[in-house]
Amino acid sequence: MNEKSLPFVEKYRIESTEDIIGQNRAIQEIKLFIKTFPRKKAIILNGPPGTGKTCTAVALAKENKLEIFELNASDLRNRAKLEEVLKPVTLQQPLFKKGKLILMDEADGITGTDRGGLPELIALIEKTKFPIIITANDIWKKKFSLLRKKCNIVNLKNIEFKNSIEIIKKVLEKENQQISAETINLIAEKSRGDVRALLNDLESVISLGEESLKTEISEREKQEEIFISLKKIFQNPPDSKTIRAYDNSNLDLNEIALWIEENIPLEYKGKALYNAIESLSKSDLFKGRIYRQQHWRFLVYQNFFLTAGISTATKLKNKKFTSYKRPSRILKIWLSNQKNAKKKSIIAKYSKLCHMSKKKAMKDNFILPLILDNLDEKVIKKMDLNEKEISYLKDRKAAVIIANNLNKFRLEN
Amino acid sequence: MEPSNIWTEKYRPQKFEEMVGQDDIVKKVQNLTKAMNIPHLLLAGPAGTGKSTLALIIVKELFSTNWRENYLELNASDERGIDVIRQKVKDFARTKALGNVPFKVIFLDEADALTKEAQQALRRTMENFTTTCRFVLSCNYSSKIIDPIQSRCVIFRFKLLSQKDIEKRIKLIIERENLEISDKTIETLYEASEGDCRRAINLLQASASISPTITSDLINTLISSAKPADIKIVLEYALSGDFLKSKEKLLDVMLRDSISGTDIIKSVQKEIWNLQIDDELKVKLTEKTGEIEFRLVEGSDEFIQLEALLASFVLAGKGLK
Repeated sequence: MNEKSLPFVEKYRIESTEDIIGQNRAIQEIKLFIKTFPRKKAIILNGPPGTGKTCTAVALAKENKLEIFELNASDLRNRAKLEEVLKPVTLQQPLFKKGKLILMDEADGITGTDRGGLPELIALIEKTKFPIIITANDIWKKKFSLLRKKCNIVNLKNIEFKNSIEIIKKVLEKENQQISAETINLIAEKSRGDVRALLNDLESVISLGEESLKTEISEREKQEEIFISLKKIFQNPPDSKTIRAYDNSNLDLNEIALWIEENIPLEYKGKALYNAIESLSKSDLFKGRIYRQQHWRFLVYQNFFLTAGISTATKLKNKKFTSYKRPSRILKIWLSNQKNAKKKSIIAKYSKLCHMSKKKAMKDNFILPLILDNLDEKVIKKMDLNEKEISYLKDRKAAVIIANNLNKFRLEN
Repeated sequence: MEPSNIWTEKYRPQKFEEMVGQDDIVKKVQNLTKAMNIPHLLLAGPAGTGKSTLALIIVKELFSTNWRENYLELNASDERGIDVIRQKVKDFARTKALGNVPFKVIFLDEADALTKEAQQALRRTMENFTTTCRFVLSCNYSSKIIDPIQSRCVIFRFKLLSQKDIEKRIKLIIERENLEISDKTIETLYEASEGDCRRAINLLQASASISPTITSDLINTLISSAKPADIKIVLEYALSGDFLKSKEKLLDVMLRDSISGTDIIKSVQKEIWNLQIDDELKVKLTEKTGEIEFRLVEGSDEFIQLEALLASFVLAGKGLK
């Protein structure tokens, strides 16, 4: 492949850390990490897509004449695989005295199927003789908590607007091309600090003309909003396009299912309601099978029941305007979790002290405020109950007494 | 009123002699413990019959004052994955015990909640660390424990506590706590406990927090309020044709008491037979409930599956009018 036919993202991949724009502080920290290795064995480059995480790692390897050893999301990264591939690399002395750099790219992609991958990675970090660089979009996910403790974390920011403009101008100069200032701004704005997206858009503008960007955006404006999709499904008679009703939507099928769930009762009643929810239930059934068996072919059925299934629930379609509602269930669950946090922490402390599972303790939840009432200081300390939890229990006790009219049993002393 | 302790802990038997019921088991275990060498144990039986209590007595007898260092208690229904076995159990099992006894003890409560994979992992661990660690497993149903583990354990089957056993314990508490309660009320308490000693003591303490004079009436009020009538309301809304209200109520119930979809389905299935509808319809709705329970296992979103069930109740209700 000659240089000319390379896509921009490859052609203009930066060669040295000097060329990385707008990440000065991060670059300094990473260089320090390499210099002082093995004081810290691993570093995490954390940041949104297209901010130069992988580029930095590759450029750094080049500058320090390190042989790079990369594993990314396309590789299976379970425990056995990591052990098989990386262990020899982390432990052996380099050939020809050349050092190595291990790049664990796209750590977010280490998923359920990569069973034991993360613990193995942590074990490797302890033993490695070479620096390890890990890249991730969101290192603050819970599954990374142990990994975070073992590593330095460097955050890469989205590229600032003025830097995006700078990059566009540089590429235009090298390509010997000119485009209007307006389009340059548009590309920079649209990229939102993602250099990869920026280069892709720029490339299509150069090869297809400035109009392409505008028409593409107006296409996007034409994209069916979820409301239009819902109207099509609920109110139009099914036709050949029904099963593609969500093709242009920005939402994924799981979110769409929540929209459908929320709005079925607004459109359908009786038998139609029953049929529609049956379809929703079947769609969810296939979703469960996809997740459990990783059999993505079932996606067809998940979509089918969510489109045609819902649409054919009745022949008598409502034609009146329906103001569709946002899905409310997730919000309710979140609110309730907030509200139940105290209850849960009390249950956890109670179950620990009383040698039982939280699940079992939950069954006593109702009378718990009565049992945990007026506790001895020593017990409170042993249970580690705090002031807020104690006053929560008092309130709950009062509520239980009132709700069940228990006052009539209390003796007047 | 004087500050109190949690009675289930305060009155938890601390010695073999204090245990009520299970006499044969206690005698055998006591002999094993005296020899300072226990095999792996599997304690099977209903809730509140003394399994955890026996496990605690064993370690206290074995290690006396430093039992805490040599004892790990894990609750399998809270931590049921394979990782727990691999990490916590292995880490604890691989180090040597402190003191005179050459092994430590791990108590795995509600071991029947462990996944099959975790049980497989446990089986190897039990063998590999036998010299440094003994396992005491508890479960409600021994059939949920895989055979290889059962064959590595001495199994003790706990019986439901008899009325006499529970009353013995209750009377001791009544005396120590200066409560006023008639024999008839103690019987009510036993019946409410369904042979679960923890439940009996909890009910007693909850009643006592309202009044030191405890009547059957008070106990019955507490029981009936603890039993949620909510599922019935959910189903009645659905049968009356109000899908939205029934769905809303269902979500409320599930969130308020953190009830899983599987538990909801169980209570729906029980409740159907008590509904004021035609028997034939009950059969149809139960069949549908079974179908939804199956989808709950296969699908991904519990609530959507339960909604499908409610919709079929709505439809059935339409036919009633």
